[in-house]
Amino acid sequence: MVFLSRTQIIVAFGAAGLAVYVLDLVRRRRLSEEYSFLWVIATVSIAVLGFCTPLLQWLTRLIGAMFESSTVFALGLAFATAMLLYLSVKMSRLSQENQVLARELALLRSELEQRRGAGAA
Amino acid sequence: MNRPPPPDPARALVVIPALNEEDSLPAILAEMRAVAPDYAVLVLDDGSRDRTSQVARDHGVRVVRHPFNLGVGAAMQTGFRWALAHGYDIAVQLDADGQHDPRYLDALVEPVRRGACDVAIGSRYLESGHYRTPRFRRMGMLLFAGIVRLALRRRITDTTSGFRAYGREAMEVCQYEFPKDFPDAPLLIALARRGFRLEEVPVRMRERQAGTSFYTLGKSLYYPYKNLLASLMAWIQRTR
Repeated sequence: MVFLSRTQIIVAFGAAGLAVYVLDLVRRRRLSEEYSFLWVIATVSIAVLGFCTPLLQWLTRLIGAMFESSTVFALGLAFATAMLLYLSVKMSRLSQENQVLARELALLRSELEQRRGAGAA
Repeated sequence: MNRPPPPDPARALVVIPALNEEDSLPAILAEMRAVAPDYAVLVLDDGSRDRTSQVARDHGVRVVRHPFNLGVGAAMQTGFRWALAHGYDIAVQLDADGQHDPRYLDALVEPVRRGACDVAIGSRYLESGHYRTPRFRRMGMLLFAGIVRLALRRRITDTTSGFRAYGREAMEVCQYEFPKDFPDAPLLIALARRGFRLEEVPVRMRERQAGTSFYTLGKSLYYPYKNLLASLMAWIQRTR
């Protein structure tokens, strides 16, 4: 196995380690399968590129990057951006649902208070 | 929540959205009793940290309380749901701070009751300038009035007025889709695009009597962005 630089070794092992950690989080039910998806794709693909130098060089030429390291960083940034956007969308939906629940709760409680008041009178 | 609707036609409910308004609520509730005793009143406590709910109950009006602050638009949505569930045909937003004068309730409700429009907007600018607006706010209002005019091809003089009466059909849509924070220009565009008829009614508005303005500095920066984007979206969004 040929590594181009020390950075590549660090990134390769780091990404592999992170992939294992993400999968372990899923195993311990701390991270749902749904949310692990992007993480696994990101860490595994960066780890594969890190250990498979010919593939990394081929991809670097393909996207026209100057250095192999730029390819890896661009990939990492792309995944981070995708993840953040995905989370923003999810959060918008969650806060929407949260609103609906809070409003429904408010209505139910007022109804309950009304009924209790009527029962006591 | 599923009690049968009462027989008398076109009942109107006044919804008072209130956030930390324990100081101004007694005045507006007393005024309601004095000048508009025929209207049912619902105080919508939008997660106040003071005694807003208690003060309202002490005045003998119904209260629905959000467990935490959701925004004035969300409060109106809850109000619409409550109004529909309790058989009201019209809901009017009346601010707790005393800006909206209950003496205009009849004038505001009348065109909706008559079926002349679906949403009646109390405008402080229809009658010649008695209401003074700070210049910065005025510029923003002109901008959004211009956007509404472009989108609807008609003039709405007071796009930021919250003093509005909503008919049943409008409420049925608004209970699900309503701007949570600033129910202004984007709402009017969305309503008109759905085919709801809007009509302005001249009202006088007063200076707020207690509490602080809803529009703080942070919001005054976010407000133009949000409303501009939401207006354009309301313009091009397909109506479901």
